[in-house]
This record gives sequence, structure tokens and C-alpha cells, in this order.
Amino acid sequence: MSSDGQSAPAPAGTPSNAAAAPAPRRAVIVGGNRIPFARAGGAYAKSSNQDMLTAALDGLIARFGLQDERLGEVAAGAVLKHSRDFNLTREAVLGSALSAETPAYDLQQACATGLETLVGLSNKIRLGQIDSAVAGGVDSASDAPVVVSEGLRDVILDLNRARKLPQRLQILSRLRPKDLAPLAPGTAEPRTGLSMGEHQALTTAQWKITREAQDELALNSHRNLAAAYESGFFDDLITPYRGLSRDGNLRADTSADKLASLKPVFGKNLGVGATMTAGNSTPLTDGASTVLLASDEWADARDLPKLAVVVDAEAAAVDFVHGKDGLLMAPVFAVPRLLARHGLTLADFDFIEIHEAFAATVLSTLAAWEDEDFGRTRLGLDGAFGKVDRARLNVNGSSLAAGHPFAATGGRIVASLAKLLHAKGSSEGRPARGLVSVCAAGGLGVVAILESA
Amino acid sequence: MAARPVVLGEMPSLSKLYVNAAAQAARHRLLGSGNAAVLPEEGHQVRGVTVDVANLTAYQHLLGETASDVLPAGFVHALAFPLAMSVMNRDDFPLPLLGMIHLRNRVEQRVPLVFTQPLDITAHVENLQGHRSGTQVDVVAEVRKSGTGAVCWRGVSTYLAKGVFLPGIDKPAAHPAREEFRAPDPTALWQLGVDTGRAYAAVSGDFNPIHLSVLSAKALGMRRSIAHGMYLASRALADVGPSRGDSFTWEVEFDAPVFLPCRVALDISTEQETSGAWKRSDFVAWNPHSGRRHFKGSVASADVDAGAPGREDQVQATHVSQ
Repeated sequence: MSSDGQSAPAPAGTPSNAAAAPAPRRAVIVGGNRIPFARAGGAYAKSSNQDMLTAALDGLIARFGLQDERLGEVAAGAVLKHSRDFNLTREAVLGSALSAETPAYDLQQACATGLETLVGLSNKIRLGQIDSAVAGGVDSASDAPVVVSEGLRDVILDLNRARKLPQRLQILSRLRPKDLAPLAPGTAEPRTGLSMGEHQALTTAQWKITREAQDELALNSHRNLAAAYESGFFDDLITPYRGLSRDGNLRADTSADKLASLKPVFGKNLGVGATMTAGNSTPLTDGASTVLLASDEWADARDLPKLAVVVDAEAAAVDFVHGKDGLLMAPVFAVPRLLARHGLTLADFDFIEIHEAFAATVLSTLAAWEDEDFGRTRLGLDGAFGKVDRARLNVNGSSLAAGHPFAATGGRIVASLAKLLHAKGSSEGRPARGLVSVCAAGGLGVVAILESA
Repeated sequence: MAARPVVLGEMPSLSKLYVNAAAQAARHRLLGSGNAAVLPEEGHQVRGVTVDVANLTAYQHLLGETASDVLPAGFVHALAFPLAMSVMNRDDFPLPLLGMIHLRNRVEQRVPLVFTQPLDITAHVENLQGHRSGTQVDVVAEVRKSGTGAVCWRGVSTYLAKGVFLPGIDKPAAHPAREEFRAPDPTALWQLGVDTGRAYAAVSGDFNPIHLSVLSAKALGMRRSIAHGMYLASRALADVGPSRGDSFTWEVEFDAPVFLPCRVALDISTEQETSGAWKRSDFVAWNPHSGRRHFKGSVASADVDAGAPGREDQVQATHVSQ
């Protein structure tokens, strides 16, 4: 393990709490690369997860001159994943320009997959187990795996086990026509049967988030993303793919009137006011993203940029099954815990990136943090957790405009934020600081702090 | 129950019981029932009942229970059901079995049962009483580990024979006003396909035609097939989740029948002790379109009195309209 050269080792006899333990070395973000995100059924309709992940990875390799390099590890994942893709990331590595001796593993944590790969790999770098890594994620809503019915599956598996013909015939006779209909993956939560949009619709109503506020957030997302493209912000973050050079979902010309004209799609049968439309919810999207991580030494030795440091991360989960909390509200709990560990408040961040699963998810999160009672009773604080300065929120747009290929969103946010932090450099005499918050199915959430390197 | 139970050599066949019940119904239509308003004192018993593990697994998967070795409380109900039916199928049982409406069900799961354990199951009927639209009766099933005395599982199913009024059994004087139901925010949404009844029949053995298909249900005078009440109640029990532990009281009261296919909205609210330990979960299910309540009930820790929400209420009898 290399020495970090930054902090003195802890004196002997120091209690082994985290604060007093010797600080591990830094894990820095060198840069990122993704392919533009496409609306489902669009430019990447025929591209597989492996195709897209390899394309994003090859773009990263080309950008940072990593051809034939043996990296410490590559970790990525997909939420909608075919069983044949049991080694998706390793296969993408083998199909890329990296050395075939680069190890890889798959990770799956619903929409937090991409951010969690970053957390795990940066920890390995901090511990000195590896010096370089690529974190990533990919998802295709177009090329989604289709599975056979339980009836057919049962028959096929039993047939495999049967030895004699009469036995096989008897098993085959169990087949019914309806067993032959294929099943596409559903979006419903397994334990509640409610779709993610329906879950959010309940949360939206509970926090009294208005349609107007949601549309305004969606409009800002499109405007900010369009402006970022115009300013060339994404020139070194994106590799064109299959004819796309910008996110296919971006509507630079959308307006408040257009968004207001859309009909609600979620929550219509739930007895709550339906305010969520296709405009203020993320569409099904295809895409892939990657982030290059390294130790200082590894990056310096190759003369690579160091944009940001992965400071710390926190995962949380909520008990949403019987409605104690909203499905997508885990970050509401993760962020206060993470910030408390570092003695920080929301005001200490220059950029705050809250994944826009739905506009209402972001607004419900902000509302919970601003709520005195919630802060006291649920977060164990003296009052409200705090207010997010909207001028620092998702400044270059987020998932509502860019789209949200589930596992690819973490990498998209992290690469953009690292670049923003690097450009800002320092703020009030300290490194520029950013917060990433990603909610996920299953009541999960992962959040992380980055600082300019 | 005073009399010793009649010991049957094996678990009665439900299909034979249904056929016999149909024949009995036809006989009564021709000859009149002439039944006295007395219940048979004798119960029935089957000893050494074993569980088919493949059937258990299929049941657990269908209902959303963890596929552990412990028998779900609803599975035990299904196991005891043919015996309960056989008591109601006796010639001296005063009510017509076919067309009876399941009003409510109460189960005490006192000791968890595992599938490797042979079981002694008894069933008897009691508590014959008037209902504003007929006559109701309790069917009590008790399950013990074979050769032991302690009841591990006890179920009381209350059925209504609609339109049947027996001499000497008075209707309740007045029935309280129906409580207004206002649907809360759902915590779950079930999509029940047309095959829901067939799927539950396959794992429970209850092939009552009103649950199987539109045609078979129509043959019995219903507009469409309906979901088994115990399928709904057992799914709600599964949805309550593992916090319920191994011993609990589980109650359900049925309202509007669930015609298939349909969507059922469900709310489960949980109460905790001050220590944070689970105390009880109340559930209610309704039709998200019409807002009509399908059923409500509770699962309560065996340590507390379930307090049976609305147990004294008169239940609106809308199940079977034949």
C-alpha cells in the first residue's frame, strides 16, 4: 500500500474509532465518459447492455489513453439484466481496448448500481488494494430481457430432470397455451404491486407537491441540460454512439405551457390527486456511463487530470412496504447521517445533485428536509435538516432531461459533478464540495460527498 | 363440544363433498329440508395428516410467503378445510352447504407447525345463530401435533346460509347502521387475473366452481367467478410480513366479493409497542374504482388481545347471491 503523504499516522494507544484512525489515501476521479442517453425504442433499440457498456468504456479508454492498460478493476452493472449477462462487465472489458488481464465484476443495486460501484471501487483504492478502476453502469429498456411464464419454466426444468419418455410426455401434457406467452419485466415493486410512479404519486400527495412545482423543476432540468450542451460542458464527457451526440430525451425548446398541457399518468387510481405527467417523470431510457478512478500516484504517473476526490458515502433504506416512508425517500435519511459524520450542513455544498427519478422525488426530498416536525421526529434533529439553495441544485440538468438508464445514472451524475467541482476549484478557502443523492427501488438510497481534488 | 369426535380413516375428498352437497341441495329442494335447529354435537377427526412439501412450496410461492419449513396459517386452514366441510356435509347438519357465504375467519396460530410434523386435525360446528339475512354457524378446526394434547392452531370460520331461517332461531332484533368506509392511501395494489381462483384451487384443493371460471360461476348463478376469501386473507397475512413472528391471531371479515379479474387496493397499518416491537397490523382492502370494501382484518401479536376490529358489527352479506 502506498503512503498517502497527507496525514500523520495516529498516535499509539488511540482508540480505534473512525475519526482517529489513520486516514487512508485518496481515491480521485480522473474523468468520465458516457454515451448519449436514448429514449427507449430509439437509437439504441437494438443495442444490448454489453454493446452500450463497451461503447462507453472504449470512449473512456480513448480519452485517457488506457489502451492495453491493466486496470485494478472494472465494476459495473445493469438493473434489467439477462441471465446470460452473468459476467456483463467482464465481457465488456474483454470486448474493449483494455488489457484482457483487467478483472471485473458485476454489481446490482437497482438505480443506485452506478453510484455503488463508485463507492466500492474508491474504497478499494483508499485501502490500497487497487490503484485504478472504472465504475460504471448500463441499462436498456428497449432490449429488456423477456422471460417465459412460470408454467413453461416449470415444465422445461422438470423435463430436464425426467429420465424416461412416458415421464416426459406426462410433464409436457401439463403445458397450457397461456404458458407460452412471454413476460416482459414489470416495473412494479415486488412486495406492493405498486409501480414506482404510483409509489411516488403517494409520496407526492403526502408532501403536497404541486403540479406547477414539478413542471418548473422539469423545465429547469431541460433548460440547464441544454445550456450545458451549448457551453460545450459535455464535450469531454460524452462519446457519440449510433448517430446520437446529445441525449435523445432533451427538449431544449420545451416550455411551461407545453409541460402544463400533459395529462397525469401516475396516481390516477389511487384516490390521491394525480399530478405526475410524462413531462415531470423520467422516461424509459437506454444508455451507459463510466467513471475513471485512481490513486493520486497512478494518475500523476500517467499525467492524468484529477478532478475530484470521493470523500465518503452512505447507503440507507426505508420501510416503505406498509407506507411508513415513501419508496424513494431513503436519501432523505442517508444525507443527514453522512453530513453529521463530517460535521457538514447543506449550506456547506457548492453543488447538490439529486437524481430526478421524478420531479416530485426531488421536491419531496427537499420538503422533508425543510420540515421541522420531520426533522425532529424522524431524523432525530433539533428541527428541520435544512434548505437546499436551488441555484446549486442539478445545475447542468439531471435525469428528467437527460433520461435515466437506471444503472447508468450514477456515473452520469458523478462525472458531471467532478468536472463542475474541478472548474470551481475552491470555495471560501476550502475545496469545492458536492453532494450526490440517488434513490432506488426497494426503498434504497445511496449518497456521496465529492470534493475538488 | 361434549361428544368425542368421529375418527375418519383419511382426509375426506373435497370433490366428493361438493358432489354430495349438490345432491343434498337437490333433495332438499324436492322434499324440503325438515331440519331441526340443532347442530350435530359430534365432530370429525383425522389423525396423522402429513403435508406434501411440493404442495406447500407451491402454496407459499402463490401467496407470497417465504418458503420456509413452517406452515403458513392459511395453509393449515386449507389443510383442515375438507374435514370442516365434512362436518357441514353431515345429514344432521341443519343448513345447506352449497351457497354458504364465508362471513369471517379467526385463526389463532399458537405454536408454529413444520411440514415434517404429522398432524391431528379435528373439526366441529357450534354457535348456530340468527343473522338478519339468514342463519350463521361457526366451524371450528383445531390442529395438534399428532398424539399430543395442546392445540397449536385453531381456526373459527363463520358461514352464513343466506335466506335460511330455522324454527327457534331468532333474527337479531336490530342491526347497527353500516359503518361508512372511506379508502385510505393504498400501500399495495394486487392485480388479480381471471386465473386467480384456479391457481388458489390448485394449491388449496378448494375447487368450488364459483372460483374457477366465468362459466362454472355462472352455472351457480353468479355473474363472474370470485376470488377465494381465504386466498385474499392469506395474501394479506403474507403482506404483513415477517414481523408477525410465529404466534399470532389473524382475523378477517369479508365484505364485497372480489370478482375476477380485478385490481384490489390494500392498506396495511402497523402498530408498535413503545419498545418498537411489532404489536399488530390492521389491513383493509377495497376496489380502487368503486371504493367498495372487500375485506378487513388484523394480525396481532399473540401476547396482546387482538381487539377484533368491528367483530360485533353485522357483516353485510353480499358474497353469494344465488
